[in-house]
Amino acid sequence: MIPAETYLLLSAAVFCIGLFGILTRRNALVFLMSVELMLNAANINFVAFSLQHGNLTGQVFALFGMALAAAEVAIGIGIILVLYRNFSDVDVTKATTMRW
Amino acid sequence: MAAFTYAPAIVLLPFVSFLVALFAGDRMPKGGALAGITATGGSLLLSIWVALTVAGGGYHNEFVYTWVAGVESVTLRFGLLLDPLSALMLLIVTLISFLVHIFSLGYMNDEDETGLPRYYAGLGLFTASMLGFVVANNLLMAFMFFELVGLCSYLLIGFWFREDGPPSAAKKAFLVTRFGDYFFLIGVVGIFATFGTGLFAPITQNGEVVAQSFPVLAEHAVVDGETEAIAMLDTVGLSAQAWFTVLGLLVLGGVVGKSAQFPLHTWLPDAMEGPTPVSALIHAATMVAAGVYLVARMYGFYAISPTALAVIALIGGFTALFAATMGLVKQEIKQVLAYSTISQYGYMMLALGSGGYIAAVFHLTTHAVFKALLFLGAGSVIIAMHHNENMWDMGGLKEKMPVTYWTFLSGSLALAGIVPFAGFWSKDEVLYEALIHGFGTEGGLGTAYLVAYAMGLLAVFFTGFYTFRMVYLTFHGDARSDTARNPHGVRWNVKGPLAVLGVLAATVGFINMKPVAKLTGAHIDFLHAWLAGPDEGGWPAALVTSSHHYEGLLHDVAHVTAGYPLNETPTLLASAAVSLGLALAGAGAATALYRGSDPVEHTDKLGSLKTLLMHNYYQDEYQVWLATGLTYPLARAMDKFDQGVVDGVVNGISSVSLFGGSRIRRIQSGVVSNYATLLTLGLVLLLAIFGLAGGWF
Repeated sequence: MIPAETYLLLSAAVFCIGLFGILTRRNALVFLMSVELMLNAANINFVAFSLQHGNLTGQVFALFGMALAAAEVAIGIGIILVLYRNFSDVDVTKATTMRW
Repeated sequence: MAAFTYAPAIVLLPFVSFLVALFAGDRMPKGGALAGITATGGSLLLSIWVALTVAGGGYHNEFVYTWVAGVESVTLRFGLLLDPLSALMLLIVTLISFLVHIFSLGYMNDEDETGLPRYYAGLGLFTASMLGFVVANNLLMAFMFFELVGLCSYLLIGFWFREDGPPSAAKKAFLVTRFGDYFFLIGVVGIFATFGTGLFAPITQNGEVVAQSFPVLAEHAVVDGETEAIAMLDTVGLSAQAWFTVLGLLVLGGVVGKSAQFPLHTWLPDAMEGPTPVSALIHAATMVAAGVYLVARMYGFYAISPTALAVIALIGGFTALFAATMGLVKQEIKQVLAYSTISQYGYMMLALGSGGYIAAVFHLTTHAVFKALLFLGAGSVIIAMHHNENMWDMGGLKEKMPVTYWTFLSGSLALAGIVPFAGFWSKDEVLYEALIHGFGTEGGLGTAYLVAYAMGLLAVFFTGFYTFRMVYLTFHGDARSDTARNPHGVRWNVKGPLAVLGVLAATVGFINMKPVAKLTGAHIDFLHAWLAGPDEGGWPAALVTSSHHYEGLLHDVAHVTAGYPLNETPTLLASAAVSLGLALAGAGAATALYRGSDPVEHTDKLGSLKTLLMHNYYQDEYQVWLATGLTYPLARAMDKFDQGVVDGVVNGISSVSLFGGSRIRRIQSGVVSNYATLLTLGLVLLLAIFGLAGGWF
């Protein structure tokens, strides 16, 4: 059996890739994809611990996480569409009208 | 008792006349005067009925209306207390008010004054408030009507508000009495907090006490030591008697303000700016009498406190002398009368303080009659003189206005205390009570009585002097001005009230001729019997407001006892002879100095003393100095503290927040990437803190 540490390392790697994407990219779509990566890193953790403890609750939570991600994407894409209509671009650093 | 069913109407009738005069006065003939005359006449008749019922052993103490129902706390109610004291006072107030209304026809209507509806509305409300105060059966109701009386005096003193003097005098009267009422209010709250009731006399049903009164509770606490029910005593940490003295003195603040006692007497001479019938009403029956009446009403509460009694006696004696000296040099007829009022109320306070409850009520009665007479007489003179009040412009009015002269003379003899006019009997009894209690009482209280007695006795001489100086200057000698040579006539509506009061001033003293009663052994001291109430089996609950009960309290608690330097009857006669002799000496001195056809201002010989007296001992100046020199800088300093320190702290906190907010809001840049960076940094920081604190590294 593959030890739990391997899954956790995978999860940490995926999370960091997502975080890196958010911090460095400007395209809103890439942003969205990075957020998905981070969510799925969390899902991997759920499943890994579920396997480790022999408890199905973590798997159920992973299913919830996927549903949540789907909902989030739906809203995120809607926001990006509106962003494009207003600024003719999907660069997140250009939409700076909501500020102090 | 049918009379008691209609008793609320005594108060309500003048109130209705107030509403009628206010809203319909300008559409009525005489500007609403007839409504006022009818209402006060009706009140007078009802008061007579009530007095007759009380004379027949009737007594009434019931609540009429509950306006705050307390749950496990104080309930605030209006109620009527009709006993000999309030029945007598009702008679006085309604009679004087009725006569003043009639007199006003001559003084206001015949002189074509404007604003008559306002005037008669004021008179109506004034009378109604005073009557409400008189019948009040609890302290809070009394306080409310006491304040209404103050408001009405403000409205009426400032009646001629287009001139300079009256509005200023009205404000002064309002503010000075309000200063005293401030203490009264604290006293009322204190009494409610201490006893949980403000009742003057217990309410009984079928011989059972259903609501106890505060003087009786206080008496039980002091005499029998039943202090368990009074939780307040633990809070203040004083003995029962000391705390009741404090409460009594607080209430006395309102009395000193309203009854124009030193040092709050300064409003009263200025109140002469109002119309003269109003002065008569204020001085004789309504406002100024309220203070003394209040002390008499809750006398059971004062009788258990020797300190309060001594303070009352000393204030009274001092005020009697102090005001009488100022009356010596005044040039305006109403000013002389104003100072005589202050002085005479000083006598009443002296009597109350020195255990002469009956003497005080007696002097209140006779004074109401003769002072109303003198003010109305002065009003008649002022009509004749075309509103010139300076006595040095008068003279020789005796032949031209005989009715005014003879009635005024009757009032003056009463004021000076010449036998057999009313003032003699009452003032003599006041001084006699102070004398015998001064001799009999041991310790500081007896000394205080003797000092107060000496001041009161000295004031008798001055009273005789200024009274007859006024009479001679006004009515005798040669006319000293054109108006005095050819005075304006007065009609029946002026002469009628004067005639009624003139006869009363000569005769009302016969209700209580104590020296004659002692000499002949006849029971003709009717007022003693009246205030003592029916004998055994009359009205048991009411016995706590009878003069017998008060005498017992004074003797047992305050240890006020009578002592006689000679035997009892010789002392009584000697006291009467001394006060009569001094009054005659004063009157004689005035006669000698001012009798001639062209009198001169003998008071000029007093030199700087006259200046001092003319300036009223600089009382006004020192009170103005207190306000501008002391209170104002103090208020400014407080304002600085408030604006600078208290507000400064509040403003400082808010400006720090504003400044901080304006800086920190810069991080909200609108760029999503920055937010993400901040979030990540925050997470890293949290992890680092947890790591360091948790010892992961």
